[in-house]
Amino acid sequence: MNDYVLVAAGVLAGPVIGGLVSGADRIITARVQARVGPPLFQPFYDVAKLLGKEAVVVNVWQAFCAYAYLAASVMAVVLFFLRSDLLLIFFTQAVGALFLVGGALTSTSPYSQIGAHRELLQILSYEPLLVFVIVGIYLETHSFKIADILKWPEPLLLKLPFLFVVLGYALTIKLRKSPFDLSTCHHAHQELVKGLLTDYSGPFLALVEIAHWFDVVFLLCLCALFWATSWAGMAILLIVTYLLEIVIDNVTARLTWRWMLGYVWAMGLALSLVNLIWLYAAR
Amino acid sequence: MFKSFIKKSRTKSPWLLHFDCGSCNGCDIEVLACLTPMYDIERFGIINVGNPMHADIMLVTGTVNHRNKKVLANLYEQMPHPKVVVAIGACGLSGGVFRDAYNVVGGVDKVIPVDVYVYGCPAKPEAIIDGVVMALGRFEEKAKALRTGT
Amino acid sequence: MGKELLSTILILLPFVSAILIYLIRLSALRSLIVLVTGGVLIACSLLLIPYAPFTWSPHALLGIPLHGIVQVADFALLLIILYFGYKHRNLIIQVLSVLQIITMVYLEFFMVKGPISTDISYCDNLSLMMVLVASIVGSLICFQAIPYMKAHEHHLHLEKSKQHQFFFVMILFLGAMNGVVLANDMTFFYFFFELTTLCSFLLIAHDATEIATKNAVRALWMNSLGGAAFAIAIVFIYYDLGHLDMQQVIRTGPVAGLYVFPVALLVFSAFTKSAQFPFQSWLLGAMVAPTPVSALLHSSTMVKVGVYFALRLAPAIQLNFLSQTVAVFGAFSFLAAAALAVGQSNGKKVLAYSTISNLGLIFACAGINTPEAITAGMLLIMFHAVVKALLFLCVGAIEQNIASRDIEDMRGLYAHMPLTALITVMGVIMMIMPPFGVLLSKWMAIEAAARNIYAIIMIGLGGAITVMYWARWAGSLMSDPYAGRQFLLKFAREKQAALTWFVLLGLCVGAGVMSVAVPWLYSFLVVPALGGAYVPPFTVRQGILESSFGSFPVVPLCIVAAFGFLISIWALKKAMRARTVAPYLSGIQTDDPGVFKGPMNQPVKAWARNYYLQTIFGEERLTTWVNLCAGVLLTLMVGGVL
Repeated sequence: MNDYVLVAAGVLAGPVIGGLVSGADRIITARVQARVGPPLFQPFYDVAKLLGKEAVVVNVWQAFCAYAYLAASVMAVVLFFLRSDLLLIFFTQAVGALFLVGGALTSTSPYSQIGAHRELLQILSYEPLLVFVIVGIYLETHSFKIADILKWPEPLLLKLPFLFVVLGYALTIKLRKSPFDLSTCHHAHQELVKGLLTDYSGPFLALVEIAHWFDVVFLLCLCALFWATSWAGMAILLIVTYLLEIVIDNVTARLTWRWMLGYVWAMGLALSLVNLIWLYAAR
Repeated sequence: MFKSFIKKSRTKSPWLLHFDCGSCNGCDIEVLACLTPMYDIERFGIINVGNPMHADIMLVTGTVNHRNKKVLANLYEQMPHPKVVVAIGACGLSGGVFRDAYNVVGGVDKVIPVDVYVYGCPAKPEAIIDGVVMALGRFEEKAKALRTGT
Repeated sequence: MGKELLSTILILLPFVSAILIYLIRLSALRSLIVLVTGGVLIACSLLLIPYAPFTWSPHALLGIPLHGIVQVADFALLLIILYFGYKHRNLIIQVLSVLQIITMVYLEFFMVKGPISTDISYCDNLSLMMVLVASIVGSLICFQAIPYMKAHEHHLHLEKSKQHQFFFVMILFLGAMNGVVLANDMTFFYFFFELTTLCSFLLIAHDATEIATKNAVRALWMNSLGGAAFAIAIVFIYYDLGHLDMQQVIRTGPVAGLYVFPVALLVFSAFTKSAQFPFQSWLLGAMVAPTPVSALLHSSTMVKVGVYFALRLAPAIQLNFLSQTVAVFGAFSFLAAAALAVGQSNGKKVLAYSTISNLGLIFACAGINTPEAITAGMLLIMFHAVVKALLFLCVGAIEQNIASRDIEDMRGLYAHMPLTALITVMGVIMMIMPPFGVLLSKWMAIEAAARNIYAIIMIGLGGAITVMYWARWAGSLMSDPYAGRQFLLKFAREKQAALTWFVLLGLCVGAGVMSVAVPWLYSFLVVPALGGAYVPPFTVRQGILESSFGSFPVVPLCIVAAFGFLISIWALKKAMRARTVAPYLSGIQTDDPGVFKGPMNQPVKAWARNYYLQTIFGEERLTTWVNLCAGVLLTLMVGGVL
């Protein structure tokens, strides 16, 4: 397909798919909690309202960081749609995450500071896991390029089941779901006010939210790669995974960063190692 | 067209800041009851954010006293425009039964401008929701005032 | 200008300039000599580019046979080191230098019969890259050292200036660096190798405090260990092959038996030179030296000699057990140094550990020994040298201003040193983010290491840890509310020497330009350096690096990044007209942004500190275990080839 069409699709996918998924997430979460929940388009109303608010900053560099975060996240999704190198896309998306942390660190409020450090610890927890998942995909399909991965004849889930679980850990952390919602959280229950996002407000918070949608889209696309051979399979996989995430969110409580780092690294390393050794031995 | 979407979104996504200014907690419990599955104000897109910088509506309960009036003013100032204030309970109107105490300022509107008063001691959740919805109607004129600079 | 003349200037001019600097005690004249020498070195290194690859065999210098000069100088050098070992009463140095003297005597007078090498000097693109790095980055650092040392001596209230000593060794060192990378005859290489050791010792001990002397002595004995290993190795090689021509030694290739053992010893000496575990303490101790020393020797050039040597030897150890262990050891170093850096709040120690970490990664690339890995290693040498030099010089400037090198004291530096803080943040961004060169090399290294399960696990973990300690430093530099008002006016208020600005901005812009120019650097510098041993892994098409299993669109990404940067700057400008509020302190903040009303209405300063996670990543906690593991790996490496 024409490259420009792909780029446009990538840029639109974030708000459209990300927003709808976010809205569906809130409705399902509410139903699980015996509530009714907001309308499906609620995230769009939230973002629009935030865009219409007065711009208030603690430190002007927050504006820079919010835009940089959005730019990096959009770039990651666009590169994914252009079927570029998966490892590069991972690094691009990491740029955004770091700018978000940087923006929070520019404020001296202890809530922001601690939230930012917890976010850094979250990044520390999930980044190696994503690298292992991508390396696992490479060992199976012999390429980092998404164009080649999509051509692989059998679903990757068959040969990389444990790596999919590892991806699940990274997904839970990135989606800010319990038990890993240490730095900030989508609902009000936060012991650090809003943690990382405390001092972001108005239009900049809106940009951060949109960037988060793009991150969600990127991760869902990464999950989709595990059953790229059929559209139905992909849909089932994504829906089941996301529902599982919502259930885990509602069933677990938030735990400490020490536990998160230890558990995620231990389980992630163990599962990755086993799966990677299988792949290595099979070559 | 985008502007009208933003205008519509303000009423569809009001985020609350709930601040207790020395209340007996009766009204606070009623406010929190609104968040429960019984009344579920998230249906209206309302989220209780604890952060003034994210909030559009400030729900104030309790009499304001000389110690926390500065905090109240501080939080109000940190909220970005457009914003509305809802004073809940008899204490918020005038000081309620504590009106004559030595440390009570007596009424939220003595410190910050109030848009809606919800009476009751404690105010019922239905009344609180009514009050919030009424406050949503004030957003449009607040936004216009922001644009024209009045 | 012939290549012979250029090479001679690159190696000998610094020696001459150093002597002049030592003799002439006028500071203005000395600065001029430094500037002129640096300028000439930069020019010569650039002019050398079209000549590579070439070989060169000078036989005599001013009529005296060159071999003779180097022999005599070598023994003189070893005797000087022995003297310092005696002066500082360090038995290890004395033993090692005596051992080296005996070995060299044995080699020169009892073993060598006839010419020992075909070519004295061999310059391929790898050497050329090192010459460019040493001459350009090295000269820039020396330029910045001029105002730095002036302020340094002013702070120390020195009555008698020691700058002549300082610049003597710094400039001499530049010549030694060029000598090391242009040498093909292994005795010449050995001589310049030991000369860099001596320079490092003299510079670390420059301030002559007790701790400086102690750390300098430690550096000397650890590097002498490497030198001794090197000397023993070349005896074995001469015994095996009958010559000491490095290129021919490498071309002979991996031959089982005794031959691999000396190569392992050579790799061991590279490890000590590059301060890999368990020898990292000398590099950390070297941080007490004035910052230009740390920038020049201990991040950009001297420690790069070790990795340069490893990349040089890489074709000789392909498909060998030695290669495997080097890969694992390098990856382990990368991870362990990164972990140790997390627990550090001393800025220079963070930079030191980061250097060790990146050097470990280059060793891992040399060990993995595929074309992508070697390319990654070469690119990482170049980019890391430039960016790390920039960061060290920034920390030096900051340290002189705030009299501390602790990251916590640099919190909110943007308030009073805006431009320096921004340049430092820019440096950090260039270390950890795409599309810049260091991240590009890491990307390439990960793709290359993906087939080696031990290496990839450690590199994956290390990469994430790396990001963490850089991001918290960069963020805390900008941690100042109400910052950014009067944008450009603030920049004008910061005062630094003109040379400092020139060097800092030059390195910053240079690193950026190099990052955009990666496709051309790859095509013109790296591909010829891969030589016949490796098939070039990437094709360059419209500024995109494409290999059979990966691609990195360098130029498109740079364009997008520039675009994104401009948008963000526009947003920044708009935000300056936005309303400012104090950072959120639960509504009890006072007019002073960091202060809130505490108990009894007293003002309390709200403060936060970075997470250093010292119970997990603390130096005291980890170092013993890390050294133990490193020792095990090294024994595995050296013993395995016996």
